[in-house]
Amino acid sequence: MLRFIDARCMLGNRCIIREGDPNTKEDILELMDRCHIEKAVVYHAMAKESELPGGNMALVEETKDNDRFIRQWCALPSYFGEYLSAEDFFAAMKEHHVTSMRLLPKTCGYSLRPHVIGKLMDLAAQCRMPVFISLFEELTSDEVYDLCKAYPDVNFVVGNTGYRENRRLGPAVEQCDNLYLGTGNYVAHCGVELFCKYYGAERLVFDTGLPTGSATAAVSLIGYAEISREEKELIAHGNIERLLGEVTL
Amino acid sequence: MRYENLVYEQKPFDGVYVLDVHGHIGFEQGSQLGPHDGKSIVHTMDRMGVDAVCVSYSPGLRGDWKRGNDITAQVCGAYRGRVLGYAAPNPFHKDCDVSEYFAEDRGFVGIKIHGNIQGETPENDPRYAHAFELANKRKLPVLFHAWMPYEIDRAADVARQYPDLKVIIGHGGLTFAREHAVAVCKKYDNVYCDTAISSAPDGSIEWLVDKIGIDRVLYGSDMTFFDCIHTMGKIALAKLTDEEKEKIFGLNAKSLFGL
Repeated sequence: MLRFIDARCMLGNRCIIREGDPNTKEDILELMDRCHIEKAVVYHAMAKESELPGGNMALVEETKDNDRFIRQWCALPSYFGEYLSAEDFFAAMKEHHVTSMRLLPKTCGYSLRPHVIGKLMDLAAQCRMPVFISLFEELTSDEVYDLCKAYPDVNFVVGNTGYRENRRLGPAVEQCDNLYLGTGNYVAHCGVELFCKYYGAERLVFDTGLPTGSATAAVSLIGYAEISREEKELIAHGNIERLLGEVTL
Repeated sequence: MRYENLVYEQKPFDGVYVLDVHGHIGFEQGSQLGPHDGKSIVHTMDRMGVDAVCVSYSPGLRGDWKRGNDITAQVCGAYRGRVLGYAAPNPFHKDCDVSEYFAEDRGFVGIKIHGNIQGETPENDPRYAHAFELANKRKLPVLFHAWMPYEIDRAADVARQYPDLKVIIGHGGLTFAREHAVAVCKKYDNVYCDTAISSAPDGSIEWLVDKIGIDRVLYGSDMTFFDCIHTMGKIALAKLTDEEKEKIFGLNAKSLFGL
């Protein structure tokens, strides 16, 4: 039985919920149990959808009694005092045992260029904190390449990769050692196998995209992939454990 | 718990009949990465325990319809009983007649309509009528790419016009337009939904079963756009009984296709 750690999961009440979809923390935990997912890196729906400062603190509250959740905060470069300065943001993450951050440039209307997020990225590089971002929702594949080249000392984990971006993401992975891809909906036929063959299992990170993604699909995709047991272990938990284990905040 | 345990132990789905109603072969210009020929999909089917897959030739949908259907016929012949064919008509070629593929046993079991990559042709366009009449006469399934509400509506119109054919709504039962697909299934007895989608929340298959009934849901993968694996696992780990899962995996389709 493979041990999974989910690198992309969102907790909290969302604006749009369809009948039958998982929604509550209990729903997420039930799915984690059903899919044998030991832990999940979680950010808060409020932080992503509506109110980033309050959402980051809501995450702390929602996860305080459960060590299966690994906290992730959403980042907002603040230049008008609307949120914490970069230094205070990292201090607060340290205080609340947050080990990764998520960029929301499109949602929150900021640029990924150095004059905007450079301070945040410098601090992330200093403490080896991995930075997460979702394709399509927040940036294009070409912008993934630009981001990785602009901040070569930061490890980026790009989720929501889909099945249509291989011709763009492949060369980005080849040319950016600091780029990792989430596997949640990386469902191209034999995509995981080919990725491992050409770029190595070390660059793939298991994620689900819960609650809008599918944990049942995600664990099946890796579990049945035609790759070695060692490669599956790296993808399922090894790579994210290594990335988070390097954090020195 | 039988099918959950198969996933937990990463074992193939042997001992259950699995018929994938939504497959493709051939190079896909827009997105593809992996192998796409008959040999490679049968290899995947063998290791996953899939008994048979119904395919259309992807480049033929947006290109040369005759070449595409001929290649489908070749692959069906090479993997008889494992790879079954959808004949795909082209609305722009007046000489297009797919009836020859059903004239003898060449492994074809249905029709594939993919209007949105054929010049945004409406799914119920009269230029597809010869194929619908053929399907109606032979009581064949017709798989529609029906993602958008208007595509689902047009597929439903075909179900209304040709009550003896069977409409499979490809994708639509799990997309944002799922309520639309459900309404159509409730209105017409000859409409079914498949499970082919790259990503949908957990619980969505259970929701569809609850709305349209277990007998109307068919396993479809969209292989070789997608791997067939993630959808099989999603069904296996769904909150359904083993008997319900067996119907989705293949028993419903076996009956529908008359196999």
